[in-house]
Amino acid sequence: MSSNGFVMSAHEVRKRFGRLEVLKGVSLEVKRGEVVCVIGPSGSGKTTFIRCIHHLEKIDGGRIEVNGHLIGYREQNGKLIEDSERSIARQRAEIGMVFQRFNLFPHKTALENVIEAPVQVRGVPKRQAIQQAEELLRRVGLADKRDVYPGKLSGGQQQRVAIARALAMRPALMLFDEPTSALDPEVIGEVLDVMKELALEGMTMIVVTHEMGFAREAADRVVMMDDGRIIEEGTPEHFFREPREERTKQFLSKILV
Amino acid sequence: MLAAFEWHILWQRIFHPDHVFVLALWRTIYISVAAQVFGVLLGLIAALMRMSKIWPLRVLSGLYVLVFRGTPVIVQIFFVYFGANLLFGFNLIPRTADFGLFQLDGAAFAGIVALSINEGAYMREIIRAGIDAIDRGQMEAARSLGMHYRLAMRRIVLPQAARVIVPPLGNEFNNMLKTSSLIFFIGVTELFGDAEIRYSTTFKPVEYFTAVAFWYLVLTTIWSVIQAQIERKLSVSERGEEPSFRERVFQAWAPVAAWGRGAR
Repeated sequence: MSSNGFVMSAHEVRKRFGRLEVLKGVSLEVKRGEVVCVIGPSGSGKTTFIRCIHHLEKIDGGRIEVNGHLIGYREQNGKLIEDSERSIARQRAEIGMVFQRFNLFPHKTALENVIEAPVQVRGVPKRQAIQQAEELLRRVGLADKRDVYPGKLSGGQQQRVAIARALAMRPALMLFDEPTSALDPEVIGEVLDVMKELALEGMTMIVVTHEMGFAREAADRVVMMDDGRIIEEGTPEHFFREPREERTKQFLSKILV
Repeated sequence: MLAAFEWHILWQRIFHPDHVFVLALWRTIYISVAAQVFGVLLGLIAALMRMSKIWPLRVLSGLYVLVFRGTPVIVQIFFVYFGANLLFGFNLIPRTADFGLFQLDGAAFAGIVALSINEGAYMREIIRAGIDAIDRGQMEAARSLGMHYRLAMRRIVLPQAARVIVPPLGNEFNNMLKTSSLIFFIGVTELFGDAEIRYSTTFKPVEYFTAVAFWYLVLTTIWSVIQAQIERKLSVSERGEEPSFRERVFQAWAPVAAWGRGAR
């Protein structure tokens, strides 16, 4: 499907907010079925980076491709021009995103949250969408909560519904933006379990997280970001045993206590 | 002098309203409802223009609010009724406006137009505040699922904003019921106008205006009951399942019934 064999490839991505340059040339390639964890101190640009993959932020330089298609822009005479609203929306439909603060739709039940996009965006018949949504809710262990509004769910349950909602669009790539950092410690495990299962089933995932336990169990690769750059890359084992960079060692010593 | 108050006029106006009065009452209601509906639509359009990427639309929306919140309604009503014809040299307000299905008195039509435009300026601020109150994450989540801006607005943001908008909208309509009395000055015989005409022929102003105050009070009271119902309905999803009317009656009775059983 993809021209270069990668589900996602980012090349020299740059992004600035006013004078502050948050991404100073980030390149990353992710293969089909690969799970990549992005770690790094706050302000290192990791969240901005995955928001750029979803074109929730415009980029100021470089290029991002998903499934071989340029994200958010089209090429015209060697220049990049921002794509139309509709075609960006079409691209986003192929990429799932899970937010730190869940962002479930509070005026819709768990089931309605999951069927909303398939029905409204893809035009899937409602009955079929409901069937699929029930299956997804079962997968994240919330079959019994289908008619409950988000306000009545715990943080962990809300995040699992959010994962089901993203999966309902059958994305080629799933992005997770610190999916467990807004959660109470006792419910983090249930969300990570769902994510691990997803990884085992072969979903291509990019996960911004500080959960090194998850990285060790589920990730193929860990990427360390600092000050708008990727400063170190390797297997989870590499990061546990012999991190190369001084800043990586410092960062890991803080989160692994 | 209190004895001079002719109570029978008041009772007659309250308990035996004649058909002229009923027609006036009906005018107040339909003019207020129409002006409020169009005012909300204008406000919504202006609010969306205010958030547009295209700057002339934003400026236009700003000017609209500046002008119509900054000048008296009565001036706007007169402007629409007399001024437009003079300024633009065409007859904006026909003696009767023919809408196919029904005809509308030209003055009433002008009144609805003026009140709608005025109301739209206030509604723009209310609707914009309602949309602003919705977490930005909602729009992002909707767009991350592949919804384009308008779909996300219609399906996700506006339904949530409605809950924030309805209480102040209710106040606006309450105001509208009363403000509509100003269109008497362009010759629409609504509630206030009816009282005005009666008093000028009988010289009993206090009796007639007491009666008209009573009827305005009836209208606004009925509206506040309707408003409370709408607000309750809209907040259902926030609190989860809403008990039906019967269940609420049973719940209210439960302690009484328990007390009854305990006493025996």
